[in-house]
Amino acid sequence: MKLINKLVCLAGLLALTAGAADAKKVVVWHAYRAEEKAALEKVVEAYNKANASKGITVQTLAVPYDAFADKISAAVPRGKGPDIFIYAQDRLGGWIEAGNTVEPIDFYLDDAIKARFLPTTLEAMVYRGTTYGLPLNYKVLTMIYNKKLVPTPPKTTGELVKVAKKLTDASAGRFGLAYDYANFYYHAPLLNGFGGRVFEAGAKPVLNAPENAKSIDLVMKWQREDKILPKEPSSALITSLFNAGKAAIVFSGPWFLGEIAKGVDYGLAPLPNIDEAGGKPMRPWITVEGVYVSAPSKNKDAAFDFAKYLTDLESAKVLGLEGRQSPANKAVYDDAKVKADPTLKAFRQQVDVAVPMPNIPEMSMMWSPATNAMNAITKGSTPAKAALEAAQQSLAKDVAGLRKK
Amino acid sequence: MANSAALSRPDEGRPVAPGGPVGGSPVPPAKKAASHRLRFLLGVGIGSLIAVGLSYSLLSQAREDAVTARHQRKAVVSVLALADLVVRTGEDGEAIRKAVSAWREQAPAGSQARVILFNGLSLEASTHPGEDAPRRLKREEKELYDQGQRLRAAVETNREEGVARKEEIEIVPLVGGSSRLAAPLEREGAVIGLVEVQTPTAGVAPKPNVLFALLAVLGPVALLGILALLLGERRNALAAIALGGLALGTSLYAWHSISTVVGDRRAAQEEVADYVRTQAQTAQGLLTQLNLPLDPPIVASRWDANVFRQPRQLLTAEGKTDEGALGSQLALASSDATRALVGVGILALLVMLAIGFGAVARLFSTFISNRQAYAYVAPALLGMLVLVFFPFFYGITLSFTDSNLYNTSKPLTDLWVGLRNYVDILSDFEISRSTPEGGRVVNYFNFYWTLWVTVIWTITNVIIGVTGGLILALLLNTKNLALRPIYRVVLILPWAMPNYITSLIWKGMFHQQFGVVNHVIAIFGGSPVSWFESPFTSFLTALTTNGWLSFPFMMVTSLGALQSIPIELYEAARVDGASKWQQFRSITLPSLKPALVPAIILSVVWTFNQFNVIYLVTAGEPGGSTEILITQAYKFAFEKYRYGYAAAYSTVIFGILLVYGTFQNRVTKATEAN
Amino acid sequence: MSAPGERTTHVHLHLILGAAVLMTLYPILWVATIAFSGNQSLAISTLPENPDLWDRLRAITPWPETFSFSNFTSVMTDQPFARWMLNSAIISLATTVVGVFLACTAGYAFSRFKFPGRRQGMMAFLVSQMFPGTLMLIPLYIILVQWLGLGSSRIGLILVYATTAIPFCVWMLKGYFDTIPKDLEEAALLDGATAGQIFWKIILPLAKPAVAVTALFSFMTGWNEFILAATFMDQELMYTAPVGLRFFVGGFSQQWGYFAAGSIIVSIPVVALFLFLQKYLVSGLTAGSVKG
Repeated sequence: MKLINKLVCLAGLLALTAGAADAKKVVVWHAYRAEEKAALEKVVEAYNKANASKGITVQTLAVPYDAFADKISAAVPRGKGPDIFIYAQDRLGGWIEAGNTVEPIDFYLDDAIKARFLPTTLEAMVYRGTTYGLPLNYKVLTMIYNKKLVPTPPKTTGELVKVAKKLTDASAGRFGLAYDYANFYYHAPLLNGFGGRVFEAGAKPVLNAPENAKSIDLVMKWQREDKILPKEPSSALITSLFNAGKAAIVFSGPWFLGEIAKGVDYGLAPLPNIDEAGGKPMRPWITVEGVYVSAPSKNKDAAFDFAKYLTDLESAKVLGLEGRQSPANKAVYDDAKVKADPTLKAFRQQVDVAVPMPNIPEMSMMWSPATNAMNAITKGSTPAKAALEAAQQSLAKDVAGLRKK
Repeated sequence: MANSAALSRPDEGRPVAPGGPVGGSPVPPAKKAASHRLRFLLGVGIGSLIAVGLSYSLLSQAREDAVTARHQRKAVVSVLALADLVVRTGEDGEAIRKAVSAWREQAPAGSQARVILFNGLSLEASTHPGEDAPRRLKREEKELYDQGQRLRAAVETNREEGVARKEEIEIVPLVGGSSRLAAPLEREGAVIGLVEVQTPTAGVAPKPNVLFALLAVLGPVALLGILALLLGERRNALAAIALGGLALGTSLYAWHSISTVVGDRRAAQEEVADYVRTQAQTAQGLLTQLNLPLDPPIVASRWDANVFRQPRQLLTAEGKTDEGALGSQLALASSDATRALVGVGILALLVMLAIGFGAVARLFSTFISNRQAYAYVAPALLGMLVLVFFPFFYGITLSFTDSNLYNTSKPLTDLWVGLRNYVDILSDFEISRSTPEGGRVVNYFNFYWTLWVTVIWTITNVIIGVTGGLILALLLNTKNLALRPIYRVVLILPWAMPNYITSLIWKGMFHQQFGVVNHVIAIFGGSPVSWFESPFTSFLTALTTNGWLSFPFMMVTSLGALQSIPIELYEAARVDGASKWQQFRSITLPSLKPALVPAIILSVVWTFNQFNVIYLVTAGEPGGSTEILITQAYKFAFEKYRYGYAAAYSTVIFGILLVYGTFQNRVTKATEAN
Repeated sequence: MSAPGERTTHVHLHLILGAAVLMTLYPILWVATIAFSGNQSLAISTLPENPDLWDRLRAITPWPETFSFSNFTSVMTDQPFARWMLNSAIISLATTVVGVFLACTAGYAFSRFKFPGRRQGMMAFLVSQMFPGTLMLIPLYIILVQWLGLGSSRIGLILVYATTAIPFCVWMLKGYFDTIPKDLEEAALLDGATAGQIFWKIILPLAKPAVAVTALFSFMTGWNEFILAATFMDQELMYTAPVGLRFFVGGFSQQWGYFAAGSIIVSIPVVALFLFLQKYLVSGLTAGSVKG
């Protein structure tokens, strides 16, 4: 009996695999879990239902974020990877330079598709004049505040300091403002707001730009003179402080919302304008998760068709409302439900002043010297200019090392 | 007495029992030594077969390469000539098509061409049969458009960075010996499209002469054979003659190979120069025929370019061969070839000598007589060979190259830089540099600083781990100790927990304002320490974390080893009135050694390469001062994308550990021997 | 075994061990605190205004403010975590069996046979641990997935883990075999036992403590590995527990509550294995068996 059962099972399995061989399979790798994953799977299911007649099925595989980039770099150029993968733009330049990883898609793009996205998000998908992916969603820093402590969020840095000073009592571990300011990513809103930058055309590093030093001087004023910031900031510390009601305002992104403890009443508002920079807005870096067609894929047309589907209005609604992502699709923000969602609305507002984080491979060399400089400045007594100059030298050496022949 | 046997040195100093498992018996005397004459004859035969065989295949490869290179050079001339024509038409479609078809008529039979303009994604002209132009590119022709964009990006990148980094001409070999070349259409500094040319098939390379090869193999054998009859079994004389014969045959054949290669090259150069001249004449004719602008004048010698569209400079402006440039190139080529052939020759000589002097035969008989031992070791060694040593040799190879993110698709041989990476790493003695304010600061990115930190890191960690583990193991080994099982289980928990989270917990405990450690200091009235601000305290945090993580392993290892000590020994010692300390010194420690020494050796290696703790706890703070070598290597590979450099860094780490290992091995051996 | 009437209370020993246990447990209790808190933040103790001694003590005591099992239930139900634990168990046990077996044979040969290449062989095993693994991922991928076709299979991972564990095991076992007197084998040989019988029936039972140590080590090698498992496995159901754990803390969002709960779940089997192996660690060698 048992043996027969097994045989029947085996036959069924064989029939299944035989059937699947004819059908086109589009494999998608992503790094989502929980509700993001569920929302993605829902969209995939809808797509599979609609395309069952064409014999196209989309399959997904979740890969932990920490292993994702290495897995792509190992598998895709050897033709063993997926047809589509979803990842932030920061590794894009590296994969393109390594070759045979990401398929350029300019050829497929018509004006209708291009018009679908928030322009900044599409810009993040462009490397050296060629578009490599469809933007799916974005992450951007914004201001998150404890409504109990801060009834109306400050609109300028002047107001911010005033509000924060009142709420600060360093000896009790209570701070008006808390964010991971020694981390260059969190410092970027001020940096860009002052007109600073880390690279110029041709991957020429400019960490020592005078605007960069000015932006750091402002943080130092907040930390040393106004004393509204905690020392040794780290993301774990910021979360703990905010959850304990000991940080009134933080600058952070959508990931922070998931870490807020139940019972903390929080609100979101755009980052304040910088009085010290003539009232210009703080401009955070935007990281955009793109949908990329893999270069060795055998089903590029089908893959691109799914990428289009994944970034259209209907999918964006599901991914935004259920997956809690901020879609790159423009039209979704006119949807009534999305409009009523304060989180999605707040991040959408912040995008208007955001700057795409550079996607050149040299960017990964920037973090270490820049963070070292920030640590030296915020903890020690090194003046901003000297620390940035040292970081610039180190970065320039690394960039040149990659080009040595 | 059996107990003393447990303490005696295991394999040294004890006679090996005959037969059985202790049967790695000494090599049995060879049955009868084979004749020296036969051995040397065989050696010379195999040696010259290897030398000439390898040289022959190198030669035929070189001749094929020469044909391909000639073919490609001519193809590049064609595609650049056509691009030159097309650019002069402006973006006028009619004119482009006329130019292309006129070019086609002059081109060698079998040539085809396409022109693609980005504007409107259009296939502007094509001579491929069945392809109508102009029209919009079809979906399945996407690759053409992508190729054009790739070339555009390449031209822009090279111009922006002022280097020749990305290929501006793409060459795709096709089945059947022809190839397809694409070059950018560059008008007033902007790339507006691409020109693609498909060449006729390349010629077939002539095969090297087999007769010469046969002579080079058989000559030395025959020579030795004849002289051997006269010399008899005189080994050294035989060796000298074998050596001379082999060297003579091999070098004659090498001389023949090199002169063939140089001849091929020279002929190819003449052919290309000829081709450039005719192409220039044709182009000039087409310009007037099609009413295209004559300005700027055509400089045909620039068409003979490499893939970066840089002129090879082997032609003068008139299209004649520049003898000086050619001569130096040929010299370079022949010295390259000489080096390769000398390598081959040395290999052959070594093989010959090994066979001739009987080393191979001895190796074989050793293997046979110890086959049981080898069989026991083989499975483990095989796994290691495939999964450990192969990647290891790959890494070492990589360390001699300039492999980085920008050139991963190129073969490693093209990226060879010899010892440059090592020189860069080891010759940088700038351990400290002066600041503008006049002081001196340590350059934390210097290799020697990092090495110093790593060595201190390893020594302190191993001392902490071993002492902690050993003390706890000794305590736990106390007989009748209550709660012993509970202690034992609790104390291995740091090992059982994923260290990713426990490391981060430790980092949190050292936080300046909110960390537990500073709270405790405050309770005792101290002032909080800013742990990650100075290299020393930052180092202490990592040390504490790693000590906590690593003592359970040492404890478990020692516990296992303590079991090998027979209780009777202690009883006997106690009867003799030995103190606890004396018992420990003369019984416990020596018995622990066989298990503890390998554990310590390995834990030195592991700690030296302990990545996680440094990466998670100090992250190099402050300013990279607490990085160790392995985290530095990681940064070179994954943040700076310099794979070759990172591999060299890793190899240096390996080298240091290897020196340590050999040294340690000596010390252990010495202590074992006494 | 023990001398009769020798009953000491070992107070000083308990004091030292108690201190060691406290040091050991303290960080782990923080992990537990995070796991049972129901929250996701990496706990950092904060103080009220004007803290007195009691507040300070409370701040350094790892105990959650509210107790909740929600992190544990989420970990087990959000994802096929039980399945991943099973995969890990299969892979780690197989690694243990393969690793210990290969190490026993090799270690025995290194200990008992004298053959040319013995020292070099031992050295080769040691050397293999010396080359840093940072650049190994791509070559390993090429060998296992491209050449051997073992992508997304358990066998591939088992082979890699076993070869990683072998060098330590070989050295450990060789050292231990060296301490086993040869008289035993010689006696058995005289009794007409074969080499295989001697190895299996005499040597291995005597080497139990060392085998237990190496088994634990091999198991741990496979049990906690993350990056290779995540890279080689192309199906979610094939992932191992550490891969599942890392889903919680990658990238921007870090759910430490889940991760802590998962870590505790993951370490339970290791503790269980250790408990099981303990009896071999203590039974061990009685060299007196050849007495007389």
